[in-house]
Amino acid sequence: MTDPTKPLVLVLLIAAQAFCAVVFVGDVMADLFGTAEQEPEGGHAYFEALATLALIAAILVEIRILLWLLRRKAHLEQALSTAQSAVQEVIDAELDSWQLTPAERDVANFLIKGLNTGEIAAMRGSAEGTVKAQLNAIYRKSGCANRAELMSQLIDTLMGQRSQSPSTG
Amino acid sequence: MARFPVWDPFIRLFHWSLVLLFAANSFVIDPDSALHAPIGYAIVALIALRLVWGLIGSPYARFSSFPISQSAILSQIRDIALSRRAAHCGHSPLGSVMICNLLFCILALGGSGYLASLSGGAVFPWAEDLHEFLVAWVQFSIVIHIGAVFFESRRIGVDLIRAMMTGFKEIPRYRAKE
Repeated sequence: MTDPTKPLVLVLLIAAQAFCAVVFVGDVMADLFGTAEQEPEGGHAYFEALATLALIAAILVEIRILLWLLRRKAHLEQALSTAQSAVQEVIDAELDSWQLTPAERDVANFLIKGLNTGEIAAMRGSAEGTVKAQLNAIYRKSGCANRAELMSQLIDTLMGQRSQSPSTG
Repeated sequence: MARFPVWDPFIRLFHWSLVLLFAANSFVIDPDSALHAPIGYAIVALIALRLVWGLIGSPYARFSSFPISQSAILSQIRDIALSRRAAHCGHSPLGSVMICNLLFCILALGGSGYLASLSGGAVFPWAEDLHEFLVAWVQFSIVIHIGAVFFESRRIGVDLIRAMMTGFKEIPRYRAKE
């Protein structure tokens, strides 16, 4: 089970493309606004500018993919067996449907792993008050009153999932 | 809130002298003026001192305290992706990459400038092109560096610019890493 989207590969790709983008932007700027050292390139320069913009857009998309990938992998580090990652996938799908912010999602994952408010705060480098506010947002968005209800809802989903596709894992 | 002494006086003096000298050579002084080369050599000398200080200086100034590590870099990007707020005392992993990039490229900038000046550029005709490319790259790097300082100051809630002036990072205790 090899993953074609290794974060490190993406990081290196983004760095290499950023390097190219700087070179191209410099070239385009020189063509469009530079002193007339050589013959102006005319319309050709606009095509170059367009291609450079496309490259920059690609870099931005790659950065988004990288961040998304790292968010997904953040809580999968210890999940070595396929059964564990299958469970994580179901949990991910449930969390997706609550439309949490990245920070809330991180907190929710810690919550599910059984960490208390103080421990979550320590893991995230936040104040406990911040984590409490994030927990409240999670309860509100998931429609649960507290941690117990939230866990029940997740277990319910997990059991439903298992009966739908018994071969999973 | 805890005050961590991170940047020793030499590091701060080095940082802000480099800012002044680089800005002077890059934006104020005409490249053909008689001052351009001496300032360039002063910058090279500053960086040479910094490299020595990286071996014998205070703990957070040493290169051994900020090795470039893939796993640390990925974990910092993951922290950014999850808006986690753990703050590194010394250089952050991505910061290390930028510091090494800037030290190396500014040194190469000085070297290429020297080569370009030999016999009016007749000896190494490529040196001037390299010099101009490196100027653009270093300027781009500095823009990213400044942007990253503001971004990280916000993310981890530590005023990094102030830290480079006072030498102290003021980090809430629960947030300090390593």
